[in-house]
Amino acid sequence: MSLPVHAQREGGSDRGPSSPFHPVDINHPTHIALVEPDTAFWGLVARDRLDETLAGGPLLETWRAKAADFAREMDMLRFHLKPSAVYFNATERCNLNCSYCYIPSDMRRGGTQMDRDRLLAALETLHGYFRGHMPADRLPQVIFHGAEPMLARDAIFAGIEAFKDRFRFGVQTNATLLDEEAIAFLTGHGVGIGLSLDGPTARIADRTRQRWNGDGVFDHVVRAIERLDGYPGFNVICTMTEENLPHLTQLVDFFHEKRVPACMLNVTRCTQPGARGLKGDDKAVSDAFLAALERTHTLYRETGRKLVVANFANILIAILAPTARRLMCDISPCGGGRSFFALAPDGALFPCSEFIGLDTFVGGNLFTDRIDDVLESAPFRKVIDRKVEDIEGCDVCPIRHFCGSPCPAEAHEMNGGMHRKGAFCAFYEEQVRYAMRLIADGRHQDFLWDGWDEGTEVACAIGA
Amino acid sequence: MSNSTTVKTEAQPETRRPDVIAIRKTCDAEGTGLSHYVLMDKQVKR
Repeated sequence: MSLPVHAQREGGSDRGPSSPFHPVDINHPTHIALVEPDTAFWGLVARDRLDETLAGGPLLETWRAKAADFAREMDMLRFHLKPSAVYFNATERCNLNCSYCYIPSDMRRGGTQMDRDRLLAALETLHGYFRGHMPADRLPQVIFHGAEPMLARDAIFAGIEAFKDRFRFGVQTNATLLDEEAIAFLTGHGVGIGLSLDGPTARIADRTRQRWNGDGVFDHVVRAIERLDGYPGFNVICTMTEENLPHLTQLVDFFHEKRVPACMLNVTRCTQPGARGLKGDDKAVSDAFLAALERTHTLYRETGRKLVVANFANILIAILAPTARRLMCDISPCGGGRSFFALAPDGALFPCSEFIGLDTFVGGNLFTDRIDDVLESAPFRKVIDRKVEDIEGCDVCPIRHFCGSPCPAEAHEMNGGMHRKGAFCAFYEEQVRYAMRLIADGRHQDFLWDGWDEGTEVACAIGA
Repeated sequence: MSNSTTVKTEAQPETRRPDVIAIRKTCDAEGTGLSHYVLMDKQVKR
């Protein structure tokens, strides 16, 4: 994080020489944050009580008593997980040509695709791998991803049917091939379904998500959303670009009206050059994103029904309960190659889907290599070993474990190396400030899905 | 529907909040998701 987040203590220096806490101005009228970066432990303190809080009291006492536990927890989260999910690309092909896609267009036009037998063999191998280290009561996850997975529908559905008791399945689709029969199969098997939609009207949504002939697909996605009404396991992803930033609050209204239970408002990942011209600058993205979050809160207050923005919820959870986070992009090292990996149709294994299309990041092949060896391959280690302590700027940033400096693919391709930041440093700063303001105001639960903390234990609750 | 992107004034709490707030919960780490797919609930009920 750049220096503006560091607040000067009123009438004093940054912090006392022996204090572990870094002051962070969260732009709140009464409270300021104190963060101990390495353990990701924090407190929100009334500005007029800052000096005495730094001198002693419950915050400092809690940190002294539990810092070692917190450090162990962060070490486990960051360095000792084993994969429990695979992003399974059964096809390289796609019937759309979205302007920011991270998969090269020649692959999407005519790439390879798994047949049924090949897909079943892949699932068998994956099952054997996951069972080697995962507890019996926890199912590994397979997310069919793309390109457009529904182009390999028959093979994928055969895989889901054959392995329905051995994996939890999800599918991320552009919705153009989701007919009633497909939806009945997927919902009947409890498959998570992710759709993609970038705007509340065809005019906006179709600017970035089009068929190869330029036709939009807005109507297909809306039809699928309406068919999925009431299914708890569906959600919609919007990629924020310069094309839709002025319309994000309207999109939130649209999702809420359509009873979408959760969405993501994702930044444009700039791994491929085509995405970089669309990404929007940090301030424009932050302003639109925070306005959209506030709109979800207004809608919740008015209707009693939440529309959870999952990527922001994950930042909130990273602050409240670091080990309870679901998404692993916003932690360093990221989840690529260590809590999940990606499989291409020819069997090639990548640390993450974001690297598909970058041949130098192939770590091996599912059909010829041992997965454990692939995880230790040089291309995987390049991602697994990327950590904020080695990135200039992040190394002194107090919120480095709430952000994680995503994304390594973006940093490598756009900014010149693994030890560079990604594209949206200031946007992540603003998200963390906003999340802490919500906590300071006692509004944070309104932005999280009910039951998010089931299975957690309270390690600290001061003023909560 | 509004299409404004201006950050609205955030609602303020009606009562004074505690001088010190700190929350930390803990559990076994099971995070498995990347930003290309929403991964929230631990299990979709069939």
